[in-house]
This record gives sequence, C-alpha cells and structure tokens, in this order.
Amino acid sequence: MIFDRRLLKDFDKTLLAITFIICIGGLFMLHSATQVKSLPFVESYVFRQISWIALATVLLLFIINISYQKFIDISYALYAINVILLALVLILGRERLGAQRWFAIGDFAFQPSEFIKISFILVLASILGSKRVDLKYAGGLVLPLLSLAVPFLLVLVQPDLGTAMLLIPIFFAMIYVAGARVKHLVILVLTGLAAMPFFWHFLRDYQKQRLLVFLNPNVDPLGAGYTIIQSKIAVGSGGLIGKGWLAGTQNQLNFLPERHTDFIFSVIGEEWGLFGALVLILLFFLIMRRSLDIASSTNDMYGKLVAVGIVTLLSLQVVINIAMTIGFMPVVGIPLPLVSYGGSSMITSFIAIALLLNIGMRRSRF
Amino acid sequence: MMREKYLAIPIRLLFIVLALALVYTQAIKHTYYSRLSKDNAIRIIPIEGPRGAIFDRNGVGLVSDRLSFNVALVYQELKNREKLIRLLINTLGVERKDVERGIEKAARRPYAPVTIVDDIDRDKAFILEEESFDIRGLVIQTRSVRNYLHGNIGAHLLGYLSEISDSELERMKEYGYRAKDLIGRDGVEKYYDSYLSGVDGGIQIQVDNRGRHVRTLGMKEPVNGKDLFLTIDIDLQSACDKALDRYRGAIIVMDPNTGEVLALSSSPGFDPNIFVRPEGSLKRTRLIRDKSMYPLLNRAIAGIYQPGSVFKMIVAMTALDMERIERKTRFNCSGSFTLGTGKFACWKEGGHGSQNVIDALMNSCNVFFYNTGRALGIDNIETGAKNFGFGRITGIDLPGEAKGVIPGRSWKRSVKKDGWYEGDTVNLSIGQGYILATPIQVLEMISIVANNGNAVKPYVVKRIDKSDVIPAQRHDLNISKGAMKTVREGLYQVVNAENGTGKRAKLEGIAIAGKTGTAENPGGRTHAWFCGFAPFDNAKISLVIFLEHGGKGGLEPSEIAKEIFTVARSKGYL
Repeated sequence: MIFDRRLLKDFDKTLLAITFIICIGGLFMLHSATQVKSLPFVESYVFRQISWIALATVLLLFIINISYQKFIDISYALYAINVILLALVLILGRERLGAQRWFAIGDFAFQPSEFIKISFILVLASILGSKRVDLKYAGGLVLPLLSLAVPFLLVLVQPDLGTAMLLIPIFFAMIYVAGARVKHLVILVLTGLAAMPFFWHFLRDYQKQRLLVFLNPNVDPLGAGYTIIQSKIAVGSGGLIGKGWLAGTQNQLNFLPERHTDFIFSVIGEEWGLFGALVLILLFFLIMRRSLDIASSTNDMYGKLVAVGIVTLLSLQVVINIAMTIGFMPVVGIPLPLVSYGGSSMITSFIAIALLLNIGMRRSRF
Repeated sequence: MMREKYLAIPIRLLFIVLALALVYTQAIKHTYYSRLSKDNAIRIIPIEGPRGAIFDRNGVGLVSDRLSFNVALVYQELKNREKLIRLLINTLGVERKDVERGIEKAARRPYAPVTIVDDIDRDKAFILEEESFDIRGLVIQTRSVRNYLHGNIGAHLLGYLSEISDSELERMKEYGYRAKDLIGRDGVEKYYDSYLSGVDGGIQIQVDNRGRHVRTLGMKEPVNGKDLFLTIDIDLQSACDKALDRYRGAIIVMDPNTGEVLALSSSPGFDPNIFVRPEGSLKRTRLIRDKSMYPLLNRAIAGIYQPGSVFKMIVAMTALDMERIERKTRFNCSGSFTLGTGKFACWKEGGHGSQNVIDALMNSCNVFFYNTGRALGIDNIETGAKNFGFGRITGIDLPGEAKGVIPGRSWKRSVKKDGWYEGDTVNLSIGQGYILATPIQVLEMISIVANNGNAVKPYVVKRIDKSDVIPAQRHDLNISKGAMKTVREGLYQVVNAENGTGKRAKLEGIAIAGKTGTAENPGGRTHAWFCGFAPFDNAKISLVIFLEHGGKGGLEPSEIAKEIFTVARSKGYL
C-alpha cells in the first residue's frame, strides 16, 4: 500500500481500531448465539462472519487507496445501478420472511437495500456539494427530494420499512449541513407527518402488526410479540454484570429468535449485562465522535456531507437496533452495525467506515 | 457555516437516552425480568408421594393405591391425527367424538402431555405403549389411584378422597397441600389425612423453548405416606354391613376393655371408589344430593336419635347408686301413670303389675321408670347421663361425631325459653322427649356397664406405620358395686329370661346381657335399638344395633345382635 506521508499522518488509527474491537467482540457474541447448532467450524456462522470481515477489510483497503472524490464523481452511476438493482430485486429477488430483499448469488444473499444507504449518501453529497442547486429557495430542494423519493419508495415496497425510514433523517441531516433554510426543513417535516396516515395504507399487514405490537407486545405474546418479549426478558435478566459468556439461558435455551442477526444485542445484554452493553455503546459513541471530528475538520463540502450522512446512518442504526431489542422502538429489521451476522450489513458498515477514514486522511489536501 | 457541529447534540442525546433505557431495563427492572427468565427455563416435574395404605387388625388390605394408566397426548408432536384416532377407537372401543374432544383439549396446551382417555386397562396400556413408537405425541402415563378393595364395606369408616377446594387450600397451604391434591373427606381418610398423605417430591429441570428437557437441576425425593392398621376386623365389619343391608341404621362392635372398635357400620352405604374414578361424577352427584336417605351420613357417630328404653339403665343405675331406690323397691304398674291432669302410658296395656328394678329392666316397664325418674329428679338424671357420656362426643378418632342432647333445666331455659316441668322428667326417664344420642354414645354406655363401671375411649386406629397407638386411660366412674350388680342382673334377664324383651338375642353357650329400645320419634315409625355385651362375667364384646324407623328393639335388632355375636364367636372374639 502506498500512501504519501500526509495521508498517513491524518489516518484515524483509533477509528479503525475501535471498528475491529467491535467486530471481534461481535464474533464472540455470535459464537455464543449460534454454538447450540454445533456446526463444524468451516460451516459455522463465526467462520462465515470472519470471511465477511476479511472480504470487507480488503474492500476497505481498496476504498481508502482511492480518493473519495472519485466516488463522488461516479456517484450518479453507482446510484443508478443500485436503483436498478432495487427494481430488479422486486421482480427477481427471493422472498424471505415475507419480504423481497435478496438476490441469491451462490450462497451469498445479496441485499441491494443495504448498499443504497451508501449510494444515496454519495449521490446526495454530489448534488448538494455541486452548487447546482440553490438551497436558499424551496425549488432547490426538488432534485434532492427526488433523489430520496426513488429509493425510498422502492425500498418501502419490498417491504423494508426500517431501511426506508432510515433514509429520511440522513436526508435531513445532509441538507441541513448543506445550508437548507430551517423554515423549509420545518415545512418538510410537517408535510411528512401529515402524509403518515396516507402511508399507513401502504404498509403490509405484518408491518402494521409490528407497529401495533410495539405499542403493546402482549396483544400476541406467542406470535408477533414473542420476539420482543423474549428479547426484553433476556436483556433485563442480564442485570448489571450479566449471566456470563455462553451462560445466558434465554440465548442458550433457544428462547430468542433471530438472535444472531437483528437481535444479537439481546445476547450481549443477557450474557454481559449492563456493563457490557454500556461498553458497547460507548465504543459506538467513540466512532461517532471521531466521525463528527472528521466531518468538521474537512473543508471540502463533498467530504463533509458524506461524513455527516454516514454518522447519521451509523448512529441511527445503533440506537434503533438496541432500542428495538429492549422494546423502546418498534421491530423494524435494522441490524446492529459490525456485530449482527450478515455479509451485506458487514460490507456496508465497512464501506461506511472506509469512506470516513478516506475523508479524514485527505482533509488537509483541500 | 459549521452546521455539522450542531449534529453532535442530537447524536449525544440519543446515546444518553439509550444508556438510560438500558439502565432502566437491566438495573431497575432486573428482578422482574430475572423471574420471567427463570419461569421460562425452569420446570418442576412433580413425583407423587404415595398415600399410605390402610389394613385391618389382621393385616388384611382395605385401601391401597393402584396404578392407573392414562392415554395422554403432546399435541405439538402429533403428526398423524387420523391414525391416532383410529388406533384409540380400535384398541379401547371409545367413541370418536370423545377422542376428538380430547385432542382439542390437548391442542390448548400443545407442549405438555394432556390426558385424553382416563384409566384404561393394563393390557391395553401395554398395547398402546408399543404402538406409541409409531405415533408421535402419544404418551401412556401412569398415575396412582386410591383403591377401596372391599367396595362398599366400611365406607363410612374409611371415608373417601376428593380434590382440595380453593378455600381449604388457602387454609392448609402451609401444611404442604397443593392445588389438585386429593384430601380425605370422611372417616379414617380424613381424620388421619396428615399421616396418610405423602409429600410429593419433584425434579427441577431446565427446558428449552420447546419445553424439552435440557438438564436436571435438582431432585427432591417424595415421602411416602404412613400405613394405618385399624382395630377393625374386616370379616366382622362385612357381617355388620350385610346385616344392615335392608335397613337404614348403624352397628358398632367394640372391645369394652380397650375401646378397640371391631366394626363400625352405617347404612345406606356407598362405594368410595366412585370419588376417584373419572366416570363416577354422576353417581357422586346423586350421592351428595340424596336428601331422603343421606347415604354419606355416618349414622354410627353423627346420627342423633331418641334412645328410648336403652336409656332406662342410666336411670336405674343412678337411682340405685344414689340410693333413691333399692334393689327391692317396688312400683306397681297399672298400665299408666298419672301426673296432675296428664296420663303417661306403659307400653303394655293392662300393666306389668308389681315390679322391682330387675323386673322393670327385663320387661322395660315404663311406669316403674316414671316413678324412679321422679324420685331422682331431673338434675340427678342429667348428671348421671352426662357421667355415662351423653351430651358430649366420645372422642373416637373419626371426624364429624355429634354431641346429641341431654336436656336439663338450664338447657331448656336457654334453648326452649321455657321452664322444666315434671312431665319432662317423666318423659326423659324412659329415654324420650328432648334427649338425642348417637349410636356410639349408646355403645359407650353399655360398654361402661360391661366393664363394671370403667369407661374407655373408642378408637379405630391401632398402629400408624410402625408405632402403636396408645389407648386412652381407662376411667373409673366410681359407681357402687351394688348398683352395678343389680343393673347387670336386670340386663342379663332382658336377654335370658323367658319373657325378656331382648330374648331373641339369646345365644346358646354364651351369656349375653343387653337392653332393647323402641323410641317414639317425630319422624314416623319407632326407632329400634339393641345394645349389649358378652360374655356376661368377663365382657369381650359390646355392641349397639340401631335401625332408623326399624320398629321394635326386641325384634330385628335383637336378632341382628345374635347374628353378630355368632360371627364374633366364630372369629374367636368370644
């Protein structure tokens, strides 16, 4: 790898180190969550997750070698490809758990809706940074809104409510930083809220059910409410220091469904207690701090906007995932970055971190 | 513009709220979730502590637990519903709709075995057990069921079992009773419930989300209930029950020296087995609702009746003991007795003529006792009767014993709100009027006479497991020898004299003494009594026969007494 000195000087080693610490800790949790299946190591979830991390690391090295400006330059193309894939997945994709989100490529279930988060951030940064739109006027918001609306609707009809909703705060954070008038933001928010009853009709029954279950999990304790009740019991029974690694009864006795993917945090909460949970969110918080530093220390508007989008994306994923695990938010299928099992999620998270590192190490050049 | 700086504020806020939510869930609500987590994963599988068995005095089994086989279903594991239904119909001959109802029941608790057919034959259980390898979800469960080996024999004495009620559970929880436990409802089963009932043990296991056993956490051994050995002789008991077959009434046979009860019958009876069999519910309801016969009432200890002439021995004994009359005192019986404007008849029209106390007992002459009773006065009769155990329970080790009534001045004032009249005394002198007694009180009275003035407490349990029950101390009533001798002589004449009222009880080769009673009562036909003992000089058996609305004491009761003495002799008790 050839970096020039200046690049190396501003390379955020702490950010990278924290990323790997979380990943490795996550592997231990994944082992605990899946060991009862007692698969041979090469077939185990841990081995497969390690493979994803390895692949993601290679991708990360590749990305930080190329200036993020290049990605901004090709952002329209990336965005277009991703939108086409989103459209295709609706037609050709595999249905799993009532939703069409995946392309099967060999063993790998490829999930375009994971990558659209990044493509969207890049394209929006590209639009907002180019000065082609003037945010002083409401008309300047038309193109950014359009760039949001297309993937938002495509993801929503998959249906993947969580990811679709995630795009909205990213959009607001980026146009705010780009200089949109607060008055316009308020009007947009109010319009969105007014449109919500309209969207309710577009939701699938299971999504409505999930939202109702969030309000009262006991309406259907063995059906839709089961996961959330068992997950709350797991985290709550963990107490201050937890039941110990591999010793969580909720986890090891199979009371927790989906515990290696979206509900991996319930394993952490049960086996490592409040202590482990707070350490984990502290580590995530440190990532956000570093990323915000990167966002404010770069003078390049494109880089700043990309960093802001990524910080918003990662922090919301962490908060929403953990909050839904303990019943403070509805269950919306958002994985815990760097920890939940899954290739698409791991690679997306690493691309996000890689872009942050990329922006950070090149901040002095502008 | 440094708007991105402001972004730190909502992010920091979100993380703080998240941390607080975790503190709330994991620290503040920890105890709550911890309990839920344990409820999830820990199950207790109870192991029954078998109830103690009951044997008679010779070690003959009366009550024991038998193994019952039930067909149960774990619904969640059921794959082939139709195959199961057909197997059960073919093997057990049950109705299709009953099986289907059972399966519906099991579907409501899909992870636990739910009984769908109760108490099947042993052979069929083995057939189904073999088939259960092919039909997933089918489980043959064994359960111990109380078995009353002799059916109706001694039902009131033994009692029966039924499920503990909510209010009883509330009261008895601290003694280790739990919901669904069977507890003794009457007789020995109730009185000795705490000895008989075992303590259930259990295995504490950890289960996974499908209720499957993961590991065993601990085990508490069940404790067997204690076996009881009764003073009862099952053959004698069976003879008594049979003798009462056609009547309503009671028979009690006792050893007057020790208080050991050899037989205690009440009629009509019932089969205690119907209380534990699932198909018995209709019969149960019929038993409990029967208000004309009261088959569940143990008449021997809980039925209260006018004793009639058997009470005359108390009047005679007290009057002699207090020297109000002597052996040679005579009263003339003209067939009736006049008190003021009232006229009290003797049972014999035309009268018995001149009678001493022995004649009067032998003939059961009312007029003699009217005079004797007046000579004694109500207060002395009351004291004498209470001395012999009337008006209070004997303390037999059976539940539900009645006290009966011994009237007196203060009793009448507080209960009837009226003064005591001479006419009341006259009535009481022949065991009529307000007096009410249980058959066991009458037995207690005759046993004191049989035992020359010593009272013993009747009891039915001889041994609990390995330790013998120590009978209560004999208690001497301090009745003068003369009075006792005279009354006993009168009672001997009742059975053995040519024209004694109880001559039908006479048995060759054994000297029997006794007293008949024919009690007027508001319910209709007279109650018939016989109480007696034998052998006369060294009593080994005392008994009481009571027939509700059974006519004259000198007829069927005396004949039944003879029958029972005969059986007792053949069993070597005489």
